[in-house]
Amino acid sequence: MAQIDKLAVNAVEKALSLGASYADFRHVEIEDESLSFSDGSPESVNRSTDKGFGIRALINGAWGFFGSSVITENEISKAVNKAIEIGKASARLIEAPVELAKVDVYKDDYVSKYEKDPFEISLKEKLAYLTELDGVMAAREELNSRGSHIDFRKTSSIFVSSEGTDVKQKIIQSGVGIDLGISKSRRERASRSFPKNGGQYECKGYELLSEYDFKSEIPRLAEETQALLASEDCPSGIMDVVFEGSVVSLLIHELIGHPLELDRVFGSERNFSGTSFATVDKLGKLQYGSPIINVVSDPTYPHGLASYGYDDEGVKAHKADLIKDGILVGYLSSRETAARINARSTGAMRADSWGNIPIIRITNVNLAPGDSSFEDLISRIDDGLYMSTISSWSPSDDRSSFEFGCEIAWEIKGGKLGQIYKNPTFSGKTVEFWNSVKAIADQSSWKIWGTPNCGKGQPGQNARTAQGASPILVSNVKVGA
Amino acid sequence: MIGESILDIFGKALIDSLADQTELVCESEEFYLTRFAENQIHQNMGRSDSTIWCRAIFGKKIGVSRSNDATQEGVSKLIAAAEDIARNQVEDPDFKSLISSPGRSKSIGFYDSTFGFSAKDRADAVVDIVDRARSEALSCAGTFQTSGTSLAVANTLGTSNFARNTEYRFSLTATAKNGRSGWAQAAGRDTDKFDYKAVSQRALDKASFQGEPVELDSGQYTVILEPDAVANFLLFLAFLGFGGKLLHQHRSFMSGKIGEKIMGDNITITEDPFNARIEYLPFDYEGAPKRKVVMVENGIAKAGVYNSYYANLDGTESTGHALPPDNSYGPYPKSMVISPGDKSPEEMIKSTERGIYITRFWYLNFLNPMQTLVTGYTRDGTFLIENGELTKPVVDMRVQQSMLEAFSNVAALSNTERLIPQYGALMLVPFMKIDNFNLAKA
Repeated sequence: MAQIDKLAVNAVEKALSLGASYADFRHVEIEDESLSFSDGSPESVNRSTDKGFGIRALINGAWGFFGSSVITENEISKAVNKAIEIGKASARLIEAPVELAKVDVYKDDYVSKYEKDPFEISLKEKLAYLTELDGVMAAREELNSRGSHIDFRKTSSIFVSSEGTDVKQKIIQSGVGIDLGISKSRRERASRSFPKNGGQYECKGYELLSEYDFKSEIPRLAEETQALLASEDCPSGIMDVVFEGSVVSLLIHELIGHPLELDRVFGSERNFSGTSFATVDKLGKLQYGSPIINVVSDPTYPHGLASYGYDDEGVKAHKADLIKDGILVGYLSSRETAARINARSTGAMRADSWGNIPIIRITNVNLAPGDSSFEDLISRIDDGLYMSTISSWSPSDDRSSFEFGCEIAWEIKGGKLGQIYKNPTFSGKTVEFWNSVKAIADQSSWKIWGTPNCGKGQPGQNARTAQGASPILVSNVKVGA
Repeated sequence: MIGESILDIFGKALIDSLADQTELVCESEEFYLTRFAENQIHQNMGRSDSTIWCRAIFGKKIGVSRSNDATQEGVSKLIAAAEDIARNQVEDPDFKSLISSPGRSKSIGFYDSTFGFSAKDRADAVVDIVDRARSEALSCAGTFQTSGTSLAVANTLGTSNFARNTEYRFSLTATAKNGRSGWAQAAGRDTDKFDYKAVSQRALDKASFQGEPVELDSGQYTVILEPDAVANFLLFLAFLGFGGKLLHQHRSFMSGKIGEKIMGDNITITEDPFNARIEYLPFDYEGAPKRKVVMVENGIAKAGVYNSYYANLDGTESTGHALPPDNSYGPYPKSMVISPGDKSPEEMIKSTERGIYITRFWYLNFLNPMQTLVTGYTRDGTFLIENGELTKPVVDMRVQQSMLEAFSNVAALSNTERLIPQYGALMLVPFMKIDNFNLAKA
């Protein structure tokens, strides 16, 4: 590590000596372990290590970046030259030199909170865990497909900037999930997943696995899957709907997190991920949601999939309001974009590896819990639906409208859950939707849900994000086609 | 980008391997991308990386490990890690063997012009495009990327192969002050053959299209899809049906329908890695030679693509479509071609009394995979066709369409094709005129 520290400082100094006004160096090592079972067989047991460095330089007012997996003094020197060459090419087409919002200088070591390092648990124990889980599912004879997976990641990074920041971070994340299905025919299939579609991921160690009692959930899920096969299609119409927490999490992700990325707002993603309806002229004015909607960016929350000490520009993690009492009050920002609105960076710049430049990513974006119990939400509906577990999502490119699908819905009649419906979908306009939120369930059903596969950027980067949520009651939702 | 010398490192490392069978794969890349938005270059990067996989097998126990350390020591450590996993693994009764493919392939698709394309060269093109856009009061966002990739595979059964190619990809969204936008993209192997002026002009022309946008009612329309939109559908169809794993698991829309009609008579879809415009790497991540596979012929389901594992399970041969060893998706076609028709795109428009011209789709996702039903939006160039002409822009609409149904309702295919990048794949596809296409107000 001492050697890398020295190489990092040398790289940054070399960039400055070649004319850069700012430079930063990141060394990142990511260890992954993934184990999965499918239909009784071990589908995969994979371990990987990925390490390298990236140098980012601001020269003639424009950015250049080069990264390499060959970590030698000579390669780092060549990489600095390439970053400078690339930056000079960028400078041929800028309207104004890049300005960076001011940031404090830190020297720090950050380690995420966990109890059991999953990389110290034997492969044997992990396989035994999955074998047992698979056995519980196999005992349900009605199921004809089943899958289970556990995943672990350790990220160790060093960030050194020409402004003097020098931070080291070690972050451990874990994930677990199951899915089960029944095919009645080649055209008719029902499936359920748990804790949510794709599994649950948190910034925790191996202890995450013991937080879920799969053995008692599997019989319920199997019964729901069977009921789905026999059920009717979800009715269409305008209805009051209660959405389960993991569904709300993805709604926050797609319809609050993404539209509030300030690079997207300024058009940086125009060619790929799209734009945002939440333009800066609406800051402080837009009634984004009903007055009970309060949303914060909070990478300091200890167990979200976007929990960290510093972002990839060396900005210290901190809490920032995005929506307060329903009003748009802030964005997810970088130093460059924050400077354009005379604000402080919210510390949302992250790269998915050493080999990509940091871009603004969704952090832990959390919807504050309300004061109703989940049962209260259901009891307030005379004729409506309860939907659980996202299965499909499709927002418009400016995030102003959307269509989502869920694995399962229940009829609500007279404040009580009734029959199951299959293929529930709903669509709407983002601002109308959040303004129609009538109640939010309380802390007892609040959870931070991980999204381990958020795509953005060119070249594509796969970020890990999280959204804290509890169930919500929304009126006048357009259900079905 | 690592050269053929990686096979020497692999050869030495394999001598000391302890497993019954061991496989080493290296994919190495030198990658550059210039990204622009708001008429400025705002992101500009380069990266040099190599990914190495090891698959070690004891009996029927398989261990896979991955790293990006291509040194002799790094590869030896990787083998030890895979061996450790394999020893602790549960047996996979369906595994038969790694493949033995000792022949060397001839590299196709590597061009010095592309490999030597510099940051300055990319900036020259972008500056020229933005200058033209500014003269029409348009704002540009896009990417221009160039890369070189090498693939090496060696195993203890004598397989030892190496190939490399180059690729460029370009995309552009031009936006007018009134918010209307136009899109164009291109891809290929040789930058010397890339006419960026012509490609970018397509996007500029769409963004400059005059007339007030019209909002159309939900309903069924005759549509003309540009090749980009056709490729969006083809990508999702391939996810649902062309891979051997899905066929083996009876989850493909072609399961149980081989030899039966699943699309219109005029649809032929071929996986063709050696197509002169695609020039894909000649072998897969197991070292198996790639083969041309006719997947749908005149609307009749013919075959899927296979790696060795699923070929063994289905009693057939690998077609050379294995993905990297740590993927769980199974084999996948990365160089699909839809056979062209006999009409020019202009004739297709001219013969349409009323319809909608669609440039591309956005955020397609499955609503009902068993019915190949997808949802998504139109984006960056949607126009009304009236009496054989594009007359006005259309406010973007939501797509709710079964893809198989759409490919059964194709009224015409163009006689020209475009090479469209879709994630790791390149697809050569024509324009399509489709009847009874479901669109809804967004």
